[in-house]
Amino acid sequence: MRALSRLLRAVVLLSILAPSAAFADALSDPAGSRTVQLVHGFWSLVADAATRPGDGDDLQAPHPAPQAIPPGAQDEPAVSLDDLSQPTAIESRLRDALRRRDGGVRVTVTNGAARMGDFSIGSNETMPGQLLVVQGTADIYGKLLGNLVTVDGDVVIHAGGVVSGDILTLGGEVRDEGGEIGGEVRTFRTSSVLATPLPVQGAEPPTAVETVFRRMAGVVGVFLTLGALGFGLVMFGRPNLEVVSDTVSHSFGRAFAAGLLGQLLLLPTFGMLVVGLILSVVGIVLLPFAVVVYALLVIVGAVGGYLAVAHSMGETYTRRRLALGAMIGSPNSYRYLLVGLGALAAFWGAWSVFGWVPVAGDLIRGAAILVTWLLATAGFGAALLSRAGIRENFAGRLLPPEALTDEYLWATPQYGVTAARRPGSRTPTRGL
Amino acid sequence: MRRVLLSLLALALGATGAAAQSMRPFSTYRQWHGETRLDARLEYAAGALRLAAGRPSELYRMDVLYDGERYAPVSAFDAARGGVALGLRASGEGGLRVVSRSQLRQTASVTFSPRSDLALAVTLGAVDGDLELGGLRLTDLKLEAGASRATVRFSQPNAARCRAATLTAGAAELSVLGLGNSRCDRITFEGGVGRVTLDFGGAWTSSAQVAVRMALGEVALRLPRGVGVRITLDKFLASFEPKGMVRRGTSYLSPGYDQATRHLDIDVTTAIGGVTVDWLE
Repeated sequence: MRALSRLLRAVVLLSILAPSAAFADALSDPAGSRTVQLVHGFWSLVADAATRPGDGDDLQAPHPAPQAIPPGAQDEPAVSLDDLSQPTAIESRLRDALRRRDGGVRVTVTNGAARMGDFSIGSNETMPGQLLVVQGTADIYGKLLGNLVTVDGDVVIHAGGVVSGDILTLGGEVRDEGGEIGGEVRTFRTSSVLATPLPVQGAEPPTAVETVFRRMAGVVGVFLTLGALGFGLVMFGRPNLEVVSDTVSHSFGRAFAAGLLGQLLLLPTFGMLVVGLILSVVGIVLLPFAVVVYALLVIVGAVGGYLAVAHSMGETYTRRRLALGAMIGSPNSYRYLLVGLGALAAFWGAWSVFGWVPVAGDLIRGAAILVTWLLATAGFGAALLSRAGIRENFAGRLLPPEALTDEYLWATPQYGVTAARRPGSRTPTRGL
Repeated sequence: MRRVLLSLLALALGATGAAAQSMRPFSTYRQWHGETRLDARLEYAAGALRLAAGRPSELYRMDVLYDGERYAPVSAFDAARGGVALGLRASGEGGLRVVSRSQLRQTASVTFSPRSDLALAVTLGAVDGDLELGGLRLTDLKLEAGASRATVRFSQPNAARCRAATLTAGAAELSVLGLGNSRCDRITFEGGVGRVTLDFGGAWTSSAQVAVRMALGEVALRLPRGVGVRITLDKFLASFEPKGMVRRGTSYLSPGYDQATRHLDIDVTTAIGGVTVDWLE
């Protein structure tokens, strides 16, 4: 177990330090030349990869036979290519419009035409309006009096070719071989317009079974995360966790009250902190750090407290079973935490299974929220009372182990040992 | 227990890999059609940025590799105004994700034609920037840097006369090198917190007025020998080292200020921090 702990610590340290060191190196260069070199090198790599012959063709699907794309139904909105200044919006619109319906693609382009497959404008041709080319290369030898958009296709402007408007390629590139482009050229070398259609608005709602699975996956994910955090807490901060856990067990009411008060005072305390730092002038520099640290402390307090409650529940349950004579292999903090988290997850598990039931589902969810809030509040309060597990005043540990001297043990009757009655003495009776 | 721990570790590592973001390359440019002037606005939120003079045949060009889930590229040319807006704007849902720092690196390379007069406004967020403005025809410069580390250079003389350069920095580290090559009549710097280096080296062809206002931080002035320099200081809790300068009234003057044909008058206002002077040989 020790070797495993060391291994885990090394992995965690490496994962934290390695990226930080790399970033520190990048920023420690005062002139920024190294950064620029990195940027240059990286961009050259991307550009080289993109302009390598054949690569673009490899990324694109085989071009279908050239043909006109029929216009969409009257109830389907037309796609306007008049303004290409927001290319991601155009991409989104085209993704929706180019979804295959009834085995084919149909789209209406406002003030223009749509083509499937390779398309070219001859040197003595002039084509007015916007042009959309899907899964094909647009070769421009003549004149296009409008904007040009390609999806999964390149644009080649040959010598003498003219595009009076803008060009946008979604999954392709523009090769200017001496032509004239009146507008702006925008190039996305990769695009998912034809690959992953967006979910249709107003689609069928998920079935009850899908809902159950989704919710169960969510609950499992959340509690797995909590379990991982808890295991880390046990590994690196077991004494503190145990003190907070004991505080919850022995002073639940007090811990809940402290947690409630703490929640109410969170914002005022934060405000006082900010104002105090601003008034001190010098503290302004520390303000960003203070805000981050405060937020982190609150999160650590709440999550740590919740885990301490889980630990406390698991410990109580396990000790009761032990008292009943059950054989339990390893009654340690890991088990306590797992048992406790399992119990807490049961509420949400019930909601994930029965949440779809009318009325009852809402009641179960309400109960789960209420219980979670109650326990989290108590845990947060216990973390506050025990100063994150440093102070044991409310943990039921009234006497430290070193105080149990022989004299104390001799003078103090031990629990579980029946005191023998002194010979000849009588128990005083009230009223006599 | 070991099995459980190892399983959890594997799950965590797997989840990290699955959360990889999608970096997307985007390029935009516009052919140069004889435009004499360009009013360019560049807004770049996060990542590394390089800006320089580009091909004469292209009015402007931007090559960017960006996080497609959080940002959208901006590339809009206004022919009537002769202006262009470039950069990245925030989009999508964003939110908190656990990813490595290297994955959050976006890169951008922006170039402008050296043929057209350029009025440039740059707004940087959390950016590691290198702006080489030498070789352009810069007529106006506005630079706003948030939490950035930026270096602005004028390695070559500005091919046009620059009316004003206004530099604003929040909590940033900013170096402006070769201001003598900028040919700006008026240079203004306003800083909140951080460190700024103003290097006035280069080929001075006229006099210039410089105003530096720094709230909290360090101002390093690198001054040329061949120009008459006068520094007027207004400070609260700041130190000042007038290395090699002579005090006259409330100002500090370089030797031979009155005889110099070109003057560099610098007004420095600072609250807390320090102002240092170094001489360029």
